[in-house]
Amino acid sequence: MKKFEYYKPKSLTEVWELKEKIPNSRFIAGGTDVMVKIKSGLLIPEALISLREVPELKNISVGKNIRIGAGSTITELIENAELQTAIPVLVQAARRIGSLQIRNVATVGGNLGNCSPCADTAPALLVLEARAVVRSDKNTREMPLQDFFTGPGTSCLSAKEILVELIIDIPSPQTKAISMKKGRVQMDLALASVAVLMETDGNFCKKIRVAAGSVAPVPLRLIEVEKFLENTEITEEKIKEAQRIAMESVSPISDVRTTADYRRHLVGVYVKNSIQSLMNGGRHEKRN
Amino acid sequence: MEGDMKREISFIVNSQQMKLEVEGHLRLIDLIRDQLGLTGTKEGCGEGECGACTVIVDGKSVNACLYPALEIEGKTLITIEGLLEEDNKPSFIQKAFIDNGAVQCGFCSPGMIMSTKALLDKNNDPSDEDIRTALLGNLCRCTGYVQIVDSVKAAAKEVRRKS
Repeated sequence: MKKFEYYKPKSLTEVWELKEKIPNSRFIAGGTDVMVKIKSGLLIPEALISLREVPELKNISVGKNIRIGAGSTITELIENAELQTAIPVLVQAARRIGSLQIRNVATVGGNLGNCSPCADTAPALLVLEARAVVRSDKNTREMPLQDFFTGPGTSCLSAKEILVELIIDIPSPQTKAISMKKGRVQMDLALASVAVLMETDGNFCKKIRVAAGSVAPVPLRLIEVEKFLENTEITEEKIKEAQRIAMESVSPISDVRTTADYRRHLVGVYVKNSIQSLMNGGRHEKRN
Repeated sequence: MEGDMKREISFIVNSQQMKLEVEGHLRLIDLIRDQLGLTGTKEGCGEGECGACTVIVDGKSVNACLYPALEIEGKTLITIEGLLEEDNKPSFIQKAFIDNGAVQCGFCSPGMIMSTKALLDKNNDPSDEDIRTALLGNLCRCTGYVQIVDSVKAAAKEVRRKS
């Protein structure tokens, strides 16, 4: 393996100084993706800049809104009692990431910043309408999370920009949300995943957000499904039609893990099951 | 900082304070096996799937193959060697694995046992599900997992008996 230098900056300012000095350096957070890419030769860095000890990335707070520092580990997210209460759907999704050893170091910023269509936190964050805060030494910008992803492995980040935190409005107490993921085994990458958030009054759907992972070049919101159901009376027929629309709104690929057809099928079934489960008042979690 | 690519770091390994020069591109597994000579920790897949390299850093189980060596600076590391009891006898967790037939080829055992230690340090009465969740990232190709889960339960019983 080619040797490289490893830097451990203690502030964002220091991060940007290093990045300016070594333009071909790469950022590393938990390293659970970066280290694998280096080992397999997919990534040959000139230097790594570690974001692990950058205090600006570490904060999780629940106040007027929810702020999650991009450097928070998945375990920190799962163990945070305030997040468990405020946005259990994200905690549910986070629990199904990899193994405990992975969750103990992997970060939420890395899960998103790696820009895999199967990022396990993405569908839950999308239905929560999370906003991504991106900073460089020159400016700060904030965008809806769906605009952060631009393709498999690519984001809207320029070389010196860093995803620093996610901001989520606290969902009203009437909203319920659920996430479902299919992997071959539990610690596997998602073959397909779905998250649904709903606010209902009896059978009337006041608000619905639907998102899916592993079924398009980026994790995505299924806006057509949302439009079809929002502000309508939910019936079994409507749910069936929503299932069909969901299947039509995705563009999965066939790969070593499974086929495009099966991914499409899963999304339909999970959208249907999620809506049914939420209509029945459940926050039921689906494991595999 | 540039040029020699080495940095001196200090950390604690198995209760011993340590100061070492470490190269930036190394992984924690390289440091543990090659620099410290602690070969109880195994490298299996090298990409965080099998858990053979599991060690404990600041109380949490991690894959040493995915952990940049320099990140151990200032932290407390426990490897399988750190579990030995005072008279160099196997720890009660190791004994439970032996007694319950959870070891065949033994390659996964150090990782399994470190994940077990991390679990029992936090929870001395884990359910089957707690155990399987904690050990999900440790693969065994010989015994199947029944004997391993039994071993963890036996070790947990021992923790409760001693406390």
